Amino acid sequence: MATIGHSNINAKLVLLGDMGAGKSSLVLRFVKGQFLEFQESTIGAAFFSQTLAVNDATVKFEIWDTAGQERYHSLAPMYYRGAAAAIIVYDMTNAGSFARAKKWVQELQKQGNPNMVMALAGNKVDLEEKRSVSAEEARSYAEENGLFFMETSAKTATNVNDIFYEIAKRLPRAQPPQNPAGMVLVDRPTEAARASTCCS
Amino acid sequence: MASDSASSALADVSAADQNPNTIDNPSRYAVEDQLRSLALTEADDDEVDEPVPDKAPPSLQESTNEVANTDRLVIKENGLNRTVGTVAAERRESKAVAHSVEAGEEVGGAEVRESYLNEIAIVKAPPSIEESNIVLNDWRLAHDGNDPKKRSGIEVEGERGSHTVEHLKEAEKVVRAEAGECDSTLGDMQRMNSELEVDTLVSPSSSGYAGERGSSSIGSASEIDEIEEICEVRDDDLVDGIALSQAPWIPGKRHVDEDDASVSWRKRKKHFFILSHSGKPIYSRYGDVHKLAGFSATLQAIISFVENGGDRVKLVRAGKHQVVFLSKGPIYLVCISCTEEPYEALRGQLELIYGQMILILTKSVNRCFEKNPKFDMTPLLGGTDVVFSSLAHCFSWNPATFLHAYTSLPLAYPTRQAAGSVLQDVADSGVLFAILMCKHKVVSLVGAQKASLHPDDMLLLSNFVMSSESFRTSESFSPICVPRYNPMAFLYAYVHYLDAETYLMLLSTSSDAFYHLKECRIHIEAVLLKSNVLSEVQRSMFDGGMHVEDLPVDPSPQSGSVSPHLGQHSPETFRDTNAGIGGPSGLWHFIYRSIYLDQYVSSEFSTPINTPRQQKRLYRAYQKLYASMHDREIGPHKTQFRRDENYVLLCWVTEHFELYATFDPLADKALAIKTCNRVCQWVKDVENEIFLLGASPFSW
Ligand SMILES: Nc1nc2c(ncn2[C@@H]2O[C@H](COP(=O)(O)OP(=O)(O)O)[C@@H](O)[C@H]2O)c(=O)[nH]1
Ligand SMILES: [Mg+2]
Repeated sequence: MATIGHSNINAKLVLLGDMGAGKSSLVLRFVKGQFLEFQESTIGAAFFSQTLAVNDATVKFEIWDTAGQERYHSLAPMYYRGAAAAIIVYDMTNAGSFARAKKWVQELQKQGNPNMVMALAGNKVDLEEKRSVSAEEARSYAEENGLFFMETSAKTATNVNDIFYEIAKRLPRAQPPQNPAGMVLVDRPTEAARASTCCS
Repeated sequence: MASDSASSALADVSAADQNPNTIDNPSRYAVEDQLRSLALTEADDDEVDEPVPDKAPPSLQESTNEVANTDRLVIKENGLNRTVGTVAAERRESKAVAHSVEAGEEVGGAEVRESYLNEIAIVKAPPSIEESNIVLNDWRLAHDGNDPKKRSGIEVEGERGSHTVEHLKEAEKVVRAEAGECDSTLGDMQRMNSELEVDTLVSPSSSGYAGERGSSSIGSASEIDEIEEICEVRDDDLVDGIALSQAPWIPGKRHVDEDDASVSWRKRKKHFFILSHSGKPIYSRYGDVHKLAGFSATLQAIISFVENGGDRVKLVRAGKHQVVFLSKGPIYLVCISCTEEPYEALRGQLELIYGQMILILTKSVNRCFEKNPKFDMTPLLGGTDVVFSSLAHCFSWNPATFLHAYTSLPLAYPTRQAAGSVLQDVADSGVLFAILMCKHKVVSLVGAQKASLHPDDMLLLSNFVMSSESFRTSESFSPICVPRYNPMAFLYAYVHYLDAETYLMLLSTSSDAFYHLKECRIHIEAVLLKSNVLSEVQRSMFDGGMHVEDLPVDPSPQSGSVSPHLGQHSPETFRDTNAGIGGPSGLWHFIYRSIYLDQYVSSEFSTPINTPRQQKRLYRAYQKLYASMHDREIGPHKTQFRRDENYVLLCWVTEHFELYATFDPLADKALAIKTCNRVCQWVKDVENEIFLLGASPFSW
């Protein structure tokens, strides 16, 4: 399918992490080039698409920006099922959000697509003076778990395009193009998907 | 049947107003109405979908000989109450009396109210649950002034009866004992409320409870307060802007209200809380919910005290505050209000708040409490404050909240048909509900086979979508529970804004449906654009719906004549000759609710009622009227005519529709009645534009 010189890749990408970590802000920075000081909480999940050209391919990201609220936790599989990539976001000024980022990583390792490209984003790096998660700690965690790591700022745009670009480069090239009406994504553990209540 | 039909031609039966001034031929309408009601009751669902056959509507008459057919007529004028009517059954009679007692409190009985609130309720258990209120009402008047010991201002009404203050003293002890760290008592609760008012008077932007709030950290709730106030101001401008651009505007008629700050002040007069069975706070409209733990425990203690006595607390009156309770399994909802809204209305608002919570979480949240009674639910509601505060705001401007009906955007019949048929396409492809709305008005709505949407659910859905900015940013796919459809399970909602105000909701039972729903939306959007539906929607939003000034002068076009369209101003309309003073006969505003369509239409606000404050006051008056017409078993037809210094309110309830009309306070009664008949005719003439027909949510 994918020729070496040029290929078109459709990739489902999901952002996971605490509410308030900056997932929506990262996506809006990437897709629309904007940043809102008072970004409203996401409800459920918002869908965006954005195309990126890397050397040898055109990657069309189908991005799921999830809410990160606890009530949707049991529903998260419906967003990460079949995803080719995930960005797990934490707020580097908030150690708790880093702890929960690790939980997300664990969950993806257990339930997610085994070939998934995973990135760990320590967001709000512009707030250096309030840092409470060190870059070293996060980097070594990422390395141990097979993620790549970047510190980002949706506010200043630091590393935002880069993290998506890096994911695009790492996506497996031989991937058959997904049906854009991609309901193929089904055969993941249906238990999790079926848990259609908020806190079971 | 015979009495039904006769009473449908309803009369004002004021004894003082014995003017047998027959406007139409009553017998003719009586017969026609009988036919019509027969046709409607016997029609199967398919027929109900069709536009109503062109028959004369029942008419409101002014005469005296219809009394015997009326259950109860309460006529209120200038603060005087008279109960007129021949009531056949004894049972009925006692209810009618009870009602008049209550009405006395509402309108003429200010002093009575003051004094009974300052004494203790000692009420024996009433004979039955349903009648407990009646007995209470009777009692209050009967004992007025008879009790020399005015020991407390608190009165608790349970479903089974009232509770004495002696008992409440025990409850207080329980509160003290059980709440431990919490030193709130009933007295404190009362004090808190009065402090609250003072507090908000001094500084409208501060909120929360004196002594409880402290310095809240980020205080999302307080930010929302600020925003709300800003919204109020913006609303004000907006409505005035509309008044400027649409209604004939006469400078002299616009009262610059000196009491502008009172809008926000009034908002502070009403509080909503959600708490758990164990007393953990879940939500508070004002203040930081986590800082209200003590207060929450107090509420919980009152509730459980009454529950331990085998009853359920409904209402506590403390001074001019009402504390309304609603118990839903492990969750309690409480409203504290001094807005003088009727108990039924406040309770209905709590029901909606509960529904909104279920919409976000499903009722299976109850299971968390089974596992752990002290479960903290606040994280589950993270980020939804704005949904609840927007709903609370709806309670003061959106009549759907008390009418339990939805409203449709006025559109030419073919335009709405075009929207309906494309939605039908997608419903046939497995979408459970396809709903196209513009703000809070329905453009079109289609449910798959056997699926029906309750108007309250539509209100909650649209509030959820409109209040969350997140939906405007991009297309969204979110779990959503439709409480009256299935409170236990999530549906999956695809939401997309087609323009700044128009949005499409596609609901599916499948969590995998996103891409399918997205394609449906692309198809729908293309068709709507091609058939100009979206631009028609915007035009309609701009033009507004029914303007009282346009009420046709000619009472009833002969059958066969082309029914007038909303947009076309016939040369006979009132607007041309008497611009700027409302409609004919001093008609200022009306709401017409079609019972079998589950829809209402509200006329545009015209000049005398052109500020949000006046509009809110009018809605409160309608709400009260609605409650008084619905709080007891109602007869097939009822009217109420109420005159006070603000307006004349005329309400007419039949089995097919309800009409609430507002007139100039000096309006002539006979003319007002005549005008109401014309309004009904007018609504009927344009019904296929103002209502969504043939796609009623309850049709299948
Ligand atoms: N200073 C700073 N603030 C950010 C950054 N990214 C997001 N925020 C802010 O953090 C808050 C939460 O962001 P949001 O994107 O809604 O988080 P989400 O819940 O993960 O989607 C918002 O007020 C943003 O303005 C960032 O890189 N730097
Ligand atoms: Mg977000």
